[in-house]
Amino acid sequence: MKKSIEVTVNGKSQSVEVDTRMVLADMLRENLRLTGTHIGCGTGSCGACTVMLDGRTVKSCSVLAADADGRSVQTVEGLSTSAVSLHPVQEAMVENQGLQCGYCTPGMVLSAVELLNKNPDPTEDEIRHGIAGNLCRCTGYHFVVTSIQAAAKSMKEGA
Amino acid sequence: MKHIGRAQTSLTNRQLAAGKGVFVSDIQRHDMTHMAVVRSPHASARIVSIDSAAAEAIPGVVKVVTGQEIKANMNPIFEAYDTEAMGAKGVVSYALCPERVRYVGEAVAAVVAEDKYTARKAADLVAVEYETTPIVSNTKAALEPGSPLVEPDWGDNILITRDFVKGDPDKAFADAEMTSSDEVYQHRYTGAALEPRAYMAEYDPYTEQLTYWASTQNPHPVRVFLAETLGIEESSIRVIQPHVGGGFGLKTPTFQEEPLVAYLARSLERPVKFVSERTEDLLVGGHAREMRLSYDVAFTKDGRITGFRAKVVADVGAPSALCGWGMSFVCAYSIPGCYKIENANVKLFSVVTNKCPWNAYRGYGKETASYLMDRVLDDVAAKTGRDRAEVRLKNFIPPDEFPYTQVSGANLDSGNYPGTLKRVLEMIDYEGFPARQEEARREGRYIGLGIGQELTPEGCSMPRSTLLGGYDGATVRVNPSGQVTVLTGITSPGNGNETAIAQIAADSLGVPFDQIKVIQGDTDICPYGLGNYSSRSVIMGGSAVQIAAKDIRDKMLKVAAKMLEVSADEVEVEEGQFSAKGAPARYVLFKDVASTVYRDCHGVAALEVEPGLESTRYFQHGNVYHQPETQGRFSAYPSWPNQSMAMIIEIDPETGHFDILKYCAVHDSGTVVNPLLAEANLHGGFLQGVGGAAHEHLVYDDDCQLLTTTFMDYTCPTAMEVPFFEVEHQETLSPFTPLGTKGVGESGVAGALSGLCSAIENALPHLDLRFTDLPLSPNAVWNAIHEAEEKRT
Ligand code: FES
Ligand code: FES
Repeated sequence: MKKSIEVTVNGKSQSVEVDTRMVLADMLRENLRLTGTHIGCGTGSCGACTVMLDGRTVKSCSVLAADADGRSVQTVEGLSTSAVSLHPVQEAMVENQGLQCGYCTPGMVLSAVELLNKNPDPTEDEIRHGIAGNLCRCTGYHFVVTSIQAAAKSMKEGA
Repeated sequence: MKHIGRAQTSLTNRQLAAGKGVFVSDIQRHDMTHMAVVRSPHASARIVSIDSAAAEAIPGVVKVVTGQEIKANMNPIFEAYDTEAMGAKGVVSYALCPERVRYVGEAVAAVVAEDKYTARKAADLVAVEYETTPIVSNTKAALEPGSPLVEPDWGDNILITRDFVKGDPDKAFADAEMTSSDEVYQHRYTGAALEPRAYMAEYDPYTEQLTYWASTQNPHPVRVFLAETLGIEESSIRVIQPHVGGGFGLKTPTFQEEPLVAYLARSLERPVKFVSERTEDLLVGGHAREMRLSYDVAFTKDGRITGFRAKVVADVGAPSALCGWGMSFVCAYSIPGCYKIENANVKLFSVVTNKCPWNAYRGYGKETASYLMDRVLDDVAAKTGRDRAEVRLKNFIPPDEFPYTQVSGANLDSGNYPGTLKRVLEMIDYEGFPARQEEARREGRYIGLGIGQELTPEGCSMPRSTLLGGYDGATVRVNPSGQVTVLTGITSPGNGNETAIAQIAADSLGVPFDQIKVIQGDTDICPYGLGNYSSRSVIMGGSAVQIAAKDIRDKMLKVAAKMLEVSADEVEVEEGQFSAKGAPARYVLFKDVASTVYRDCHGVAALEVEPGLESTRYFQHGNVYHQPETQGRFSAYPSWPNQSMAMIIEIDPETGHFDILKYCAVHDSGTVVNPLLAEANLHGGFLQGVGGAAHEHLVYDDDCQLLTTTFMDYTCPTAMEVPFFEVEHQETLSPFTPLGTKGVGESGVAGALSGLCSAIENALPHLDLRFTDLPLSPNAVWNAIHEAEEKRT
């Protein structure tokens, strides 16, 4: 069954026709071609599909697209305006080698953004908690954590 | 050298951090279709019939294909190994099983539909009737006389055996001052790259070209395998590797779905895409590691090993075209690792069962060899009452005895094992640890220190293998602008080797780093090469780049000399400038020399050189020999990086739960081209080591049904389960590569296996624990603690 929903994606409101069985991750990737949202498990366990729904992170493989009706979604594509002006968390990832294959990265970045929004000065432990829902198989998390520490510092200085 | 040895962030970081990477699943083509696979629910069965009528009746279904159609139209899947050259048994397997299935998840049919939901739904409606046949569920059963056979034609369930002997082990045991025996077990787990496998193919009937996008590590071998399996010409296939979301060995070919997608795209003349679901990847995406190893060790009272026998029994699952079973061979091949044992015997039995086939996974069997040897050395230390580190130092191959031929015929190129171990013990304050431990005990805390010693041969080259070879190619092209394009046969599955390649090219040519562009992963564009596995990219690919760059540099030096009116040996080049030696003010720009070659080939400066600034060259590793020797020995690994690791854990004996407090490593892979990315790679290895040691486990029941089919039950470690890692490098150069490089990517996965066992034992000395089975789940640790406590009371 198809349903038309009104959803604001990265600040732009639009109507999208979705299958009622479709999950938000598929709507973003297939209908809107926002392929920065990745799918690693489809069962809410890996965090690769993390996006913001009304300002809070959700695993978009575990949310029905139809449930986004009337709501606002932010994906990794909404964080930066161009290749040279990434979000400070993304810049910190780039500078501190907080990624390797990059498959987990968009989700990891969004979790970090949410963490720093809530807690601008997190401890190492709070950072590790903050990204505990995001699996990374490449980095061992070491440079992910140092990247988020660097981002916290630069965001504070920038603020 | 300005760029080699410099910490440089990866060239792909920005695109990937922005979410603008392109993975196979992101690619959309006009008129694209989606494939879903019908998989066997049985571990061993005959296919009686397949009824696809209900599936075909669903609107949007384009085609249902079964094994009979595949068998009639395709060759068996081409094998990664030349099994005959290895002395192993080969297998005839198809992209879809025509007659029988040998493990749960093996593909029997596939549905192509207009969208993936329809494809999945229709696949569930394909009715397959099976007649189940007896199961071979473990190696013990498999080796019993009269056991059912996984491959009836084989006559037994053994894929390959080896029996390597050095010296006179029997005499060593007869003369031994002390002996010990034990058995250790390494459980089944896998790499679980975050991006599941994905393939897409598109066929153009007018040009008769097949374009094939794959989340793969090896585009050129994939092309060979597709051509052989489909019975078409290699030149009619273009394989493109877009971004790959992690490989760790598991994205080496050939899985059933790979030729299947290609076949369907050709027969339908429409693009066909397959993106594996996580459950499918855990079920059939390649397993690794399940091995039981028994040993006898003879030693002196002061802990010097005089004799050793080991028997490796590996459960490689069902045989397949994949290269995974080779890990069992490499495990036996790598024993006894870093240790000099004059009298030794290593036996291998590689056994097939009705489980998922192995595929290559980071470590490739060496990790299990390292795990075994660590457990042996800890055993010798315990029996002799000597210190664990002291016993290792006493038995290491001395640094001045390289190249050293091990029991298997492996030729270890170089190493300084005492160097890495001593340094890591300093890093972790080994001397001061007993006092720290004492203090913790007074506070009611239990902390323990473990040691893990890894030997990680790299650059795998197996006789007559299409996939595993000791060479690679590169093209270096200086453009008329002076900018440089480097094309390689090696590829990056997301670990940043393109960055190291650019560093090598910049130094070899004498140009700034940002003038280099690296292109990989396209068989129509890049020179033939074997891609990425066995940490070969910098060893093989980097060396090929260096050789090709030297051709160009030599040519440009001649032209620059003419332009500077000096002789060629009086010219040097650095950071984009050719200058007269000793007179840096007299220079010509690199770009002007390039321009002269292209634009003024009949002019004075360039007249005597061949036009063009492009060279394609191949590097062949020197430290490999494949000529048959006694005992079937050959030298398959040219370089032998090693690492010493030490870790401190704190355990709660009430629950069996432990935390890692400190994790130190000293790694030696010869020359380090990019210390930042080398360290990043090691971090990933540590995580997978910890995951393997304590968290990840592929569990089968007695019917060979996999119980861990999602990330909810196959639990990968999160950021909470690991600490920051402390890493240092020691550089003992390989004498066999131009730069002295040895390969980094597999180190780190082994040390935790044994290191965590010994750390827990060390934390609870009053219990006299001895861990020989992995994984160290809280449950397993708790049981061990309680058994030991009961024994005490
Ligand atoms: S894809 Fe959504 S959590 Fe893994
Ligand atoms: S960078 Fe590869 S999964 Fe995180």
